Amino acid sequence: MTTHLLVATTLDEALAAMANGARPIAGGTDLVVGARVGKAPLPTELVAIDRLDELDIVGMVPGGSDDPTPLLFVGAMVSHATIMNHPLLAASYSGLADASALVGSPSTRNVGTIGGNVMNASPAMDTGAPLLAMGAMAVLQSVSGSRTVPLAELWTGPGTTSAGPDELCVAILIPRRMGEEGSAYVRLEYRRAMEIAVVGAGAAVTLNDDGTVAKAAVALTAVGPTILALTGLEELLIGTPLDDLSLSAVAMLASEQASPISDLRASDKYRRHTVGVMAKRALEAAGRRAAGETIAIPVNRAEGIGAARNAAAQNGAAK
Amino acid sequence: MTTTEIPRFVRADGPDKVTGSGRYTADLTLTGMLAAKFKYSGISHGRITRLDVTAAREMAGVLAVLTDADVPDVHYDPQIKDRTLFARDIVRFEGEIVAAVAALTPEIAEAAVAAIIVEYEELTPILDPEAAMDKSSPLVHEDWESYEAGSWLVRSGNTASFSSLERGDVDAGLAEADQIISSRYVADGSHAAPIEPRAVVAQWEGNKVTIWTSTQVPFDARAGVCETLQLPTNRVRVIVPHLGGGFGGKCGFHFEAHVAALARTAGRPVRLVFSREEEFTIPDRRREGIVVELTTGVRKDGSITARKANVVIDCGAYIADTAFFPQLAAMHAVGPYLVPNLMVESQIVYTNHQPSGSVRAPTAPQVCWALESHIDEVAKAINMDPVKFRLKNAVDTGMVGPLGQTYEEIGLRRCIQQATEAAGYGQELPENEAIGVAIGWWPSFASASGSYVKLDDDGAGQIITGAQECGTGAVMTLRQLAADELGMKPEDFEIIYQDTATGPYDMGATGSQTLLNNGRAVVEASQQIAEQLRELAADRLEAAPADIVLADGKAQVAGSPESAVPLSKLAAIAGSGKLLLGHGSGSPPVAPPIVGANCVGDQGMASWVGPQFSCHAVRLRLDPETGVTRVISVHADHDSGTIINPMGAHGQVEGAIIMGIGQALTEGTRYDETGKQMNTSLLEYKLQTAADSPSIHTQFVEVFTENAGPHGAKGLAEAPNIATAAAVANGLAKLIGSPMRQLPMTAERVWDTISEGGS
Amino acid sequence: MSNQETSKSVFLNVNGVSYPVTIDGGRNLLSVLRGEIGLTGTKEGCDDCECGACMVLVDGQPVNSCSYLAAQTQGREITTIEGVAPSPEEMDPLQTNILEAGGVQCGFCTPGMILSARALLERTPHPSEEEVRIGLSGNLCRCTGYARIVEAVQRTAAGAKTATGDTGQ
Repeated sequence: MTTHLLVATTLDEALAAMANGARPIAGGTDLVVGARVGKAPLPTELVAIDRLDELDIVGMVPGGSDDPTPLLFVGAMVSHATIMNHPLLAASYSGLADASALVGSPSTRNVGTIGGNVMNASPAMDTGAPLLAMGAMAVLQSVSGSRTVPLAELWTGPGTTSAGPDELCVAILIPRRMGEEGSAYVRLEYRRAMEIAVVGAGAAVTLNDDGTVAKAAVALTAVGPTILALTGLEELLIGTPLDDLSLSAVAMLASEQASPISDLRASDKYRRHTVGVMAKRALEAAGRRAAGETIAIPVNRAEGIGAARNAAAQNGAAK
Repeated sequence: MTTTEIPRFVRADGPDKVTGSGRYTADLTLTGMLAAKFKYSGISHGRITRLDVTAAREMAGVLAVLTDADVPDVHYDPQIKDRTLFARDIVRFEGEIVAAVAALTPEIAEAAVAAIIVEYEELTPILDPEAAMDKSSPLVHEDWESYEAGSWLVRSGNTASFSSLERGDVDAGLAEADQIISSRYVADGSHAAPIEPRAVVAQWEGNKVTIWTSTQVPFDARAGVCETLQLPTNRVRVIVPHLGGGFGGKCGFHFEAHVAALARTAGRPVRLVFSREEEFTIPDRRREGIVVELTTGVRKDGSITARKANVVIDCGAYIADTAFFPQLAAMHAVGPYLVPNLMVESQIVYTNHQPSGSVRAPTAPQVCWALESHIDEVAKAINMDPVKFRLKNAVDTGMVGPLGQTYEEIGLRRCIQQATEAAGYGQELPENEAIGVAIGWWPSFASASGSYVKLDDDGAGQIITGAQECGTGAVMTLRQLAADELGMKPEDFEIIYQDTATGPYDMGATGSQTLLNNGRAVVEASQQIAEQLRELAADRLEAAPADIVLADGKAQVAGSPESAVPLSKLAAIAGSGKLLLGHGSGSPPVAPPIVGANCVGDQGMASWVGPQFSCHAVRLRLDPETGVTRVISVHADHDSGTIINPMGAHGQVEGAIIMGIGQALTEGTRYDETGKQMNTSLLEYKLQTAADSPSIHTQFVEVFTENAGPHGAKGLAEAPNIATAAAVANGLAKLIGSPMRQLPMTAERVWDTISEGGS
Repeated sequence: MSNQETSKSVFLNVNGVSYPVTIDGGRNLLSVLRGEIGLTGTKEGCDDCECGACMVLVDGQPVNSCSYLAAQTQGREITTIEGVAPSPEEMDPLQTNILEAGGVQCGFCTPGMILSARALLERTPHPSEEEVRIGLSGNLCRCTGYARIVEAVQRTAAGAKTATGDTGQ
């Protein structure tokens, strides 16, 4: 099996290669690893997109005609390392920064990109839940044009998307987060690094002036064929404070709506339970951030999640 | 002691390792070298009905394809000859080698392996060792009775080796008890998981073969090649380049003969390099799964009246080196406690799992975990603090241990006192935190072992040893011993090692024995040179040899330092006459006698040379909603006798504790219903990372031990891997309110136990 | 597609030297470094980016060379363990410190560990212990328990002057 690799220097070059059947590759953390472990051989035609600097940009763009709200533009080639260290993202899109900060190891965060994470469409991807909770969309481009697809419509199953084979994800768009909005992502992990989410949850919350919930969204990781958006939150949360009662109700709702599998990492029963715990912790952290509290990125390490709640002392600090 | 207080010790092999210039086996390339790949059974139990390698042999670029038909008809394994190099008729685990290929490239070799046709009549896999003990169980080895085996072994059907320990009258002892506590614990198998996957390179010149291999035991590897390929030892040379860790996983004889046979057939050098998945599934060195049932009788005052125990060990498909495991496990089911009446029955049972083998303190972390969890249950039953209970019952200097061994000075009680005190045992802790405490013991393995030492005419030294360095620094420390004897500096010596053609025999990097045994050999060899130097100096300084002191690179007359001659000058004189050559093999210490106890299936494990003791106190934090446990700190106190290289000793304890935390929480082999391993990657088989590792505080209780290694040193590399998982378990049990019954204590298992409200 | 069409001549810059190699587009950087260029200090410990033994720097950033395509590194600067020491006679302080702190046992993880540490110190010159531990969390070590490696990185950050002493060379 031989592979031809084109190192694209312009977006047009990359799109033309994809129109001719090439698969895009950036950091290789999914594609090359997949080939090495025998999951799927490397495609015979590859186009490297890691030099497309125009896709390595974070910034605000104007909204469309139907919704003028400005949007955050995160180029598909933006790495997890960039996201977690980006002041704007850490401050206002914290859930995404939480997720990127948990991906793999420093080296996978360095070469792994948001575009690759989203398009790999693993139900265990870390960035998926916060992006879905924040209402993100993917911009797909091909030689014949470009379209914007909400992530909920992009992911169709484990490893599958509604994108055409010639379409390259060039960016992720996230509606602008208003001042009172907070977001967070937490995951269940057996180790503090080098993990894939056993389960996880992302949450985005807007609070009213009185501290009650104005708007909330929660999405769940690794409990279904795709990242799962929690439904029916409005009835539970709108106008209520984020207290033990409402958080427990969300945990139950998450456990109910999850449809996890049993595998090496966990049983369906354990996943169903813990995804509820993650949902309430994500929501709580998002709510605290919305109320102006600073919780360091990622929440998992700041809050000792996976260990005792609210125990600030971490391994290092406890010495 | 913090690291900054530890005397500096720069390893002789350090510069090779930090600059990338050091070569490991997989780094070697020889002209014309071929790539080897194996064809594995891929099923746990089956009868081969067809094996056709014709297509593979005919492929372009394939130079050798071998099966059982192509190698001598030899059964091997050190204790029971139950195995052949290639599967013969029956395959007994998923990693059984059916055929081997050597080809121009790894890709061609892989294609050739895929072209080998094997058909099986699948047989029901035998996977539960307890069920396999039943007389009605099908047999893993139908012909077990015909295998050549050690006459001391007690065998029957699937039970490959049985041992019992008996002392006093266990029923009478239980009858005296105020409380009788019974528990059952199940430990899953696990892995050594060195970071270097194994590799072998073989090259023939004429009728001699040189094999470079990532083994911990070059002489055992050579013996395996000689036995299976029927060659005399002097035509097989085994060289170990730098070894990328072992932890027991690279003990034993593995694949050297397969690669040598391929190289002979192909007429070319051949290299085998394992993938991580192969490293997990193929070698006969899995840490064994064990079921432990314990019953203890105890009086209200905390004294133990009796112990009954039943231990069942999962052998896997072949015996490898595990025949002594039942007795070792039985000792750990008793533990370093005063137990007047006991009856332990222990067996290792064939199954269709990957074979077990010696991994860092075989059987000990698992059985210690079971026993120490049980001890906390016993203490709780009589409302006694578990540390107080241990101090009351632990063996001590001058006492007669549970199997009738009388102890010289030992430091177990000091270990318990110091570790618990340093850990702040008994203090108020934040919610969801606890400190668990456990104690462990381990023998020092006495063995024959040899070394040469020489000083050349410029006074530079060489130690030529059979000892094997697997990373611990034990071989590196030999320089220190030679230097001390000769009044020189460690860096005055180079070490020639890991080559069966140059060094005398040594057992290898196994049984924590290198410093204990080879250290004695180096001291003896150095003393011979010291004696020569003193004689030479006495001549020149006009003094009696007995009055000559070797220090600071000089020979000087005691009390008159101005009357001295440099050793280099003496070496130059010797260089034109009687050369400065020493050779030593030391005299292995003999195990103390046992009095008042009986062992069936005794393999010399009931009384221990240089017994080591330890106490670990682990502070941990539990997330009760998920069952995830984080270890915050570990306080470890060890009696391993005299510490010769403090930096190396601390490194052993620290590494072993992190391995122990992995065993406690995240490392466990998972099987599917057919007996195949499912978590064969480092993502699903989870080693602890730097981000998980807690702070570790080590103290050594240095008691001088006469009957041990050089300067009273005992072994060290395995002992610190024993009590950690047990201490974690006891911390968890405090928080959960009941013990964990299965190892590893994964988050889900902890959560299950919490949800059940205890077990 | 035939071999001639897919195997391409490319230049890889490794430790300041430009190497011409003819490779298939699917070849990973690790196999090219070890097999074609002959630099074996970079190790292979797993099949799936999970051990860090193959860590190299590409333009100063840590990369698992086992899962990175060699051809993607054209025009970029690759640093392997062989390129860490300033000269054959002198070691980098990270190398000296990891050795003197006792952070080396079997040595198989050491090259990758040193490169991850170098990237960390480049990014964060004065890391906390927690930052060091997270920074090294992609490099598994089975021997040491990490404590002395973490200490060596902190010593290096503090610029601790270590005695040169015996390096065995």
